[in-house]
Amino acid sequence: MTSEKEPARTGASRRKITVAAVDCFPPGARMEVRVGSAMIAVFNVGGDYYALYGRCPHQSAPLSRGRLQGTVICNADTGWKTEWAHEGEVLVCPGHGMEYHVRTGKAFGYNLKLRTYEVVVEDGQVKLVM
Amino acid sequence: MATDKQSVRVQRVEPSFNPVQDEDLDQYSDELSELTIVDVDVHVDDTLMFMLDYMEGHFRKRMETVLQADFKGEPGNSLRNMIAHIAWLGSSYDKPPRAKLATQKDLLARMEKGIIDYSILFPSELLPVGYLPEPEWAAALATAYNQYMVDAYQNLDGVKIAIVVAPQHPDRAAAEIDRHAAHPDVVSVCIPDVGVNPPIGDEKYWPIFAAAARHDLPISFHGIEALIHDNYPLRVAHFHTLMQVNSMGFPFTSMLQIMSVVCAGIPVRFPNLKFAILEAGLTWMPFIMYRLDAAYLRYRTELPALEKKPSEYIRDWYIGTHELEALPRRGDLVKLIDLYQGRDTTMWASDWPHLERDLIAGFMRYDMDDALRRKILGENALQFFGLKPRP
Ligand code: FES
Repeated sequence: MTSEKEPARTGASRRKITVAAVDCFPPGARMEVRVGSAMIAVFNVGGDYYALYGRCPHQSAPLSRGRLQGTVICNADTGWKTEWAHEGEVLVCPGHGMEYHVRTGKAFGYNLKLRTYEVVVEDGQVKLVM
Repeated sequence: MATDKQSVRVQRVEPSFNPVQDEDLDQYSDELSELTIVDVDVHVDDTLMFMLDYMEGHFRKRMETVLQADFKGEPGNSLRNMIAHIAWLGSSYDKPPRAKLATQKDLLARMEKGIIDYSILFPSELLPVGYLPEPEWAAALATAYNQYMVDAYQNLDGVKIAIVVAPQHPDRAAAEIDRHAAHPDVVSVCIPDVGVNPPIGDEKYWPIFAAAARHDLPISFHGIEALIHDNYPLRVAHFHTLMQVNSMGFPFTSMLQIMSVVCAGIPVRFPNLKFAILEAGLTWMPFIMYRLDAAYLRYRTELPALEKKPSEYIRDWYIGTHELEALPRRGDLVKLIDLYQGRDTTMWASDWPHLERDLIAGFMRYDMDDALRRKILGENALQFFGLKPRP
């Protein structure tokens, strides 16, 4: 666990929060970031960073602890056949299993999208923009 | 938007292969620690292996045989898991993660947080006991379970036990109640209500109600998902997915048993007996109350023992909140509770640590006045189980 000093403010009113050095945040890793009382889950999926609102809207379980796997889909594109898809990109809530697309925050099977946050890499540091 | 003043904490975490537990309590600890909290539906690891030493004679031999069977991956040759998971093995792609069985240590760690004042332990493994075809075997399992639970979980601060009875053997069930009723940690009689045939109001079961009434021990009905039971009511014979069976199974069973008990006049015959329904959610309560009232108008002469309309009996039943339905608006839960007149009878229940357990955030997000919240989180349960607030 690391505790970060507050970085200098760069944008007009957006704050950049240092999450970790790139070296310490390899593909497959995830960080739980608490900013005040808010919780944000940050993932490195195959070298790309994604940040999502960190509490499940169902009953508030911490999404940072969810597994990433695939899921079943069935739509016009699949010819209404059930297929396994999105391997490694489906964040499964550790509460009761609601599933979210880690890249977009969109919930599978619900008219619901988690808030997402921009993540930037600057000077070898992964930063969350809020 | 984050302000510079907000503190920041970053922690590297790992994916959880078990459902997250207990952080929900930490999240609300400030709000909850001053209140009396009773969790009226808690489960510990009670798989069959724990009961072996409590079985005698040929049933002990039989239990040894059961424990040798190799049902891969299922802990302790779990009766309920064997049945549940064979039918729909893998249908949820292991999402959510497998529920862990809670050991006594897990339970005590949860209690030590100082938020929950009482945990009421209900069976997991013996919830299907109601549809085992052999009454003697069912009764032997219930006897072993009860003695194991009393031996293993008595004298723990805030831990109370619901003994289980096998309804298909009413005399043995009554004897179990007689045996354990005086124990200070035994606070209810659990009737696993799924598969009980004929329904539980039938005269053949009255010795169970008589025994509970004699000892002033409240009755709790606890359901279970459909498992292999094919048509009790609307189960495997009617639906091909676990989700459908699960959604209908609990409330349909509960409605059926409430109807059966009330129409048999049991609340009139045993006026002091208290009843609760667990693990069936809440939203169907107004339906069964007022639907029966409507029919009562026409068919009252079939039920001459009743002294008032059905809803006036059913409103006295206690009900556990789990599995709490997600109603669309924050004010909806109170509206629902008022519809079934349940301010004094609704009790918070988590079903910890099972997969479908309710995290307390699910309940806390609904708006209600503090007095009602206190009742649901603890005071109503103190009343139902006859417990005193802990200091
Ligand atoms: S808390 Fe996420 S699915 Fe329940």
